[in-house]
Amino acid sequence: MKKKIQNIIENFGLPRIIIFLFLVLLFILTPFVGIRFDTSINDVIVRFGMNGILVLSLIPMVKTGCGLNFGLQLGIIAGILGAVTSIEMNTTGFTGFFTAIGIAFFFAIVFGFLYGLLLNKVKGDEMVVATYVGFSSVSFMSIMWLMLPFKSPNMIWAYGGSGLRTTINTKGYWFHVLTDFLQIKIGHYIIFPTGTILFFALLTFLVWAFFRTKIGAAMIVVGSNADYANSCGVNVDKMRSISVILSTVIAAIGIIVYQESFGFIQLYTAPLFMAFPAVAALLLGGATVGKASIKNVIIGVFLFQSILTMTPSVVSNIIKSDMSETIRIILSNGMIVYALTRITRVRT
Amino acid sequence: MNPGVRFLINYAVPIIFIILVAFAIPLSGLSGEYFIRELTIRLSRNSFLILALLIPVMAGMGMNFGIVLGAMAGEIGLVFITDWRIIGMPGMLLAMLISTPIAVLLGYFAGIILNRAKGREMVTGFMLAFFMNGIYQLFVLYGMGNIIPISNSSILLPRGYGIRNSISLLGIRQVLDKLIPLKIGDILIPVATFLVIATLCVFIIWFRKTKLGQDMRTVGQDNEVARVSGINVERTRVLSIVISTVLACYGQILFLQNIGTMNTYQSHEQVGVFAIAALLVGGASVAKANIPNVFIGVILFHTMFVVSPRAGKALMGQAQLGEYFRVFVSYGVIAFSLALYAWRKRVEKENERKKIMNYRKSILVK
Amino acid sequence: MRKRIIIRTALVSALILIGIFLYVIGKEHKVLIDNRDISVGDITYSASTTYVVRVDNQEIGVIKKGERNAAIVTGVSHKIVVEEIKSNVLTGEKHEKRFRLKNNESATVNIPAMINNANEWIDKTN
Repeated sequence: MKKKIQNIIENFGLPRIIIFLFLVLLFILTPFVGIRFDTSINDVIVRFGMNGILVLSLIPMVKTGCGLNFGLQLGIIAGILGAVTSIEMNTTGFTGFFTAIGIAFFFAIVFGFLYGLLLNKVKGDEMVVATYVGFSSVSFMSIMWLMLPFKSPNMIWAYGGSGLRTTINTKGYWFHVLTDFLQIKIGHYIIFPTGTILFFALLTFLVWAFFRTKIGAAMIVVGSNADYANSCGVNVDKMRSISVILSTVIAAIGIIVYQESFGFIQLYTAPLFMAFPAVAALLLGGATVGKASIKNVIIGVFLFQSILTMTPSVVSNIIKSDMSETIRIILSNGMIVYALTRITRVRT
Repeated sequence: MNPGVRFLINYAVPIIFIILVAFAIPLSGLSGEYFIRELTIRLSRNSFLILALLIPVMAGMGMNFGIVLGAMAGEIGLVFITDWRIIGMPGMLLAMLISTPIAVLLGYFAGIILNRAKGREMVTGFMLAFFMNGIYQLFVLYGMGNIIPISNSSILLPRGYGIRNSISLLGIRQVLDKLIPLKIGDILIPVATFLVIATLCVFIIWFRKTKLGQDMRTVGQDNEVARVSGINVERTRVLSIVISTVLACYGQILFLQNIGTMNTYQSHEQVGVFAIAALLVGGASVAKANIPNVFIGVILFHTMFVVSPRAGKALMGQAQLGEYFRVFVSYGVIAFSLALYAWRKRVEKENERKKIMNYRKSILVK
Repeated sequence: MRKRIIIRTALVSALILIGIFLYVIGKEHKVLIDNRDISVGDITYSASTTYVVRVDNQEIGVIKKGERNAAIVTGVSHKIVVEEIKSNVLTGEKHEKRFRLKNNESATVNIPAMINNANEWIDKTN
């Protein structure tokens, strides 16, 4: 019996178990600190839908051995470009939403392709390079946001300034198109965002199906052993490129869904650190630097978002101060540090 | 490979930088005297911190983002002396004294974590710095005034606990800089600070020749060879980080003593990125960094820093652009250097493999 | 092995002592200096003329009748020197007193009382 418990602990990792138990504790505490249980659940579900696709986007690259995509920002920028262009074109509702995705798709493929070229040249050190490429591109785009010729009055600075505002409201365009789609109201406080969850499920299914195709399978082989794949005649570089493009595209879609749910498009420095919560969530769900599955995404996003939603409200009520930001920092970054120290992979 | 081409590739970063800067200086319209004054200050202010990066590179740990931890330790020391109202030289020295054990502890912690992430030191160090920032906040924003007694209410937040966002360090402002005053024309030269920096340089040069220094260089070259020679690889790596963290702690105190105010939660955030970017701009790489890299890097990097807002304004009409440009260049330099280094490493490995293959082939043929 | 422990303890103790030393000599104290009337029991010392004040080696400046000024000093032992000045010329009348300030103390010095060598010339508070 003891051996079994030890095994479970080793497999899941002590921190994960601690976090899970902590979460259970929080859930138990909710009624005692005066927070409605159902509003909390609702928050968790909404945030799950908001963030799920971004975390999903990490899967192709991990499976192909490109490591954790710290350069997620590239996909996010593609998504922002799509969103902003769709608003510039004054498209609303579902048309607007899909226009955004369509344009983002195009940008994501271009970015992903270039990004993939770069990563192929730095095999083994992808993560570090990715982090800084991500950061530089966000900074670079900050310059671009100021200069690109956008004209929609809802987006540019008031009083005739040039350049886009820091946050752009999606209300009136395609705010909540997914969330409101087929909404299910349970009781007073739970508004189940069916559309968002359905969309997430759709994309998850597509990813799952993709990895059952020939190309998908080839990518997995590249991920476990690049040399072996090479000897089988698989073009390793090409597979890696495809995975990077795929990750970038999914990330672009992910950020648009995020914006649709959140209500705002955040430009300039906001995307700088967006890679970290996504990576942390994936790792929390059980993934490692070399292995990730859809199961990890679902568990991870659920756990991560729950903690993020529940901790502030519960802790604030107990300690009477808002520690949420600090806790978020410790949790998401701590998780990543832990995962980075777990397995040492010998890479070719 | 043609040695000329090799030189260009190895020093691509500083060369590109020199071109950029040469372009931007006339654009900004700033006078030569302004530059000299600014650069003198920035050299005296930042060099110590960047010198702290050299030792981990020697030991093969790459660019040590853990200097952020050292900076945090230094800041905690400064909070205490501000609370106790210790001023002047004694204040600065006491801050250094108090923060040293904290820096050693943090450095030791960082070293152990980095040891468990061999091959991924830089990413781990980077994430570790973010993580420690959270712990630092826990300590300074919630613990101080609460569990840790602070009597000077002027540095506490209005709610009664937690340190304010910005603390005046007037008591120790420029206390080292002005110790030995020297004025050339209009420019005040912080002689004492430069002496301290020079001492650190001498220390580093001496350290390289000591047994520990040699051990570190061996570890940096090849872990296995070092292990076989009887060197405790893990311990040596941890030690390199500890030394670096302590130096960074002092470096941050020197930095803040020049500025005179401490942004409790922001001052250390960019320390890692800017220091590393400056070092890389000076021609260093993940595997090789020396003292000239530090000074060339500071001069080039900070010139760009000073010039960007003005140049941005002249070029595009918006100074804000210059701000973003600075950040972009800092990150971009690191991304580019890292990519270049990683690429070179692969190319060299490929060449090695080809050599061995050819050798084997030639033996078979015989 | 034993030798190492002894050396290390000695080193740490030395550092702690240095720390305490730095703390004491670097501690900031505020000294207020009044040139005002002060009543002690039945006796009143009144301020009559202007003085130039120096604390330790700091020039505090001129304190006229009824005015107050302040000095920030560090360390334990201090010296205050007041010289009478009339129409911008030193008259030659000079008084000097020494005082010690401990850990968190700050002090208020009253010039009239000081000149008359009263015991209450300095008031220390924590």
